[in-house]
Formats: sequence, structure tokens, C-alpha cells
Amino acid sequence: MSKHDTTKKQRCVQPLSEIREEEHKVIIKIEMPGVSKNDLNIVIENDLLKIYGSRKDEQIEGSYLLRERNCGDYEKVFTIDETIDRNSIDALMKDGILQITLQYKKEVQPRRIEIKSS
Amino acid sequence: MYPARWRKNDLLDPMGEFERLQDEINNLFDWNYPENRGLFDRSISPVVDVVENENEIILVCDLPGVDKNDLDLTITRNVMTIKGEKKGREKSEGDTMFRKETWSGAFQRTISLPESVDPEKINASMRDGVLTVKIAKREEVRPRQISVNVQ
Repeated sequence: MSKHDTTKKQRCVQPLSEIREEEHKVIIKIEMPGVSKNDLNIVIENDLLKIYGSRKDEQIEGSYLLRERNCGDYEKVFTIDETIDRNSIDALMKDGILQITLQYKKEVQPRRIEIKSS
Repeated sequence: MYPARWRKNDLLDPMGEFERLQDEINNLFDWNYPENRGLFDRSISPVVDVVENENEIILVCDLPGVDKNDLDLTITRNVMTIKGEKKGREKSEGDTMFRKETWSGAFQRTISLPESVDPEKINASMRDGVLTVKIAKREEVRPRQISVNVQ
């Protein structure tokens, strides 16, 4: 993982994201085309989940006939609350989409209560 | 044909729309670029860069989450069509969506390239959700250096 200076403010693009909950997990999907696994940096600072992705696209020499793509690195910050287990966060990068799986802490997960028959 | 963006409209919360607008305006003043939604609705069709240099035309297209096999690239003379499908997740019971800025579904984009391209010499690659297509220019339009002997 590349070291990212969190104090330096630079021009970044906010990537598009999707957040959903399924099976007591929170799944965040972030679209970061052009970022490979090695150019990603995910950090947790207290209640903030910070995601940086630097784009290592080769700079193309020539004149632009059309320019719609954003240039610059990606940055996204999410606030996570105390119900999220900080120690079991999974991240998966595939085809330019980063998928982060957040688990709830054990104590907030639904628990089946056994009923004893007398 | 571009897929329309999914947007949650809560009838019970008419102020939600204003809040979103306020959000977007606040985003404009951020140091960061505004998020790609609302006022900057760019994400509905895939974004494309076209670069021309001496020997070739390079087309770069952001297609995160699109499999190489779901992509159909055709070129007729100098008109290139990128067609494909971005597969989303089937919605299942018990899912709760909190935020969705991304889209999924079929997309198509047709781009007219300069006349000088040679449709026979084309090279496409897909990496990290970015499609790069390199199309060579025809020989006769390339700049040629002719050395002139000066006596």
C-alpha cells in the first residue's frame, strides 16, 4: 500500500459509491476506474473510514479531441459509528470497483434466544 | 439509450429534495470536486477521452465493473461504438440501500473519430476498469520526414 499524506490537501475526485446493508453486513462499493490494488490506501481514524486511490494511468501524449474523464486521485471519507467492528473490515478490488465489507460488532448482532421448556 | 439513474424519492419527506439541493450547492464550494451527481450528472453514460498524436488515435473509457466479455466494440470506417452491460446486483429480500450513485444496465456510446484512422489496425485492452483503444492512423496521413541533402 502506498503511503498517503493525510495532512496534505490535494485535488481529489469523489468517486461514486453505493452503500447497502445485507445479512447484517454493510457493503460499500466505490467506483474507482484506473486504480489498481496497489495504489489504494484505506485507513481508519477514529470514526472516519478514509479511502484514497491514486491513479497511475499513463499520461498520453497528444492533443485531446475529447476530455470527459476526471483526472486526479480519488478520495472518499465515510463516518462509521461505534456498532462497526473495526477489526473485521474486508476490502476487495476488482475491475476498478472497490468493495468494502463492514461487519457489525458481536454485541449488536441479532442473537437467537433459546426458550427453555419447563 | 442510457440507463436512468436510480433516485430515492420519499413522498413523506418533501424537504428531502431541498436538502439534496443544499448539499449539492455546498459541494460546489468544497475544495474537492463536487460529487458526480445532480448538477454534475456525468455518470449516466460512460465518459470518454480521445487523444490524437502523430501516429494514432487513443480512446480511453472509464468502465468500472464491466467485464471484458460483456463489452462489444465495433468500428465502421471512423465511427466507433462501445456497447456493453454493466451488471448490477440483483436486489434480494432484506437488503437496505442507503446510497446509490452508481448505475448498472446496458449502455452504448458512439463516437466519430477523425477520418484519418485505419480501422484495420486496432488494439484494445481493459485494465482496472479502464478501456484503452489504440487505433493507428493511415500511413498516408502520418507526417513523414524527408531528408533533403543540401549541397
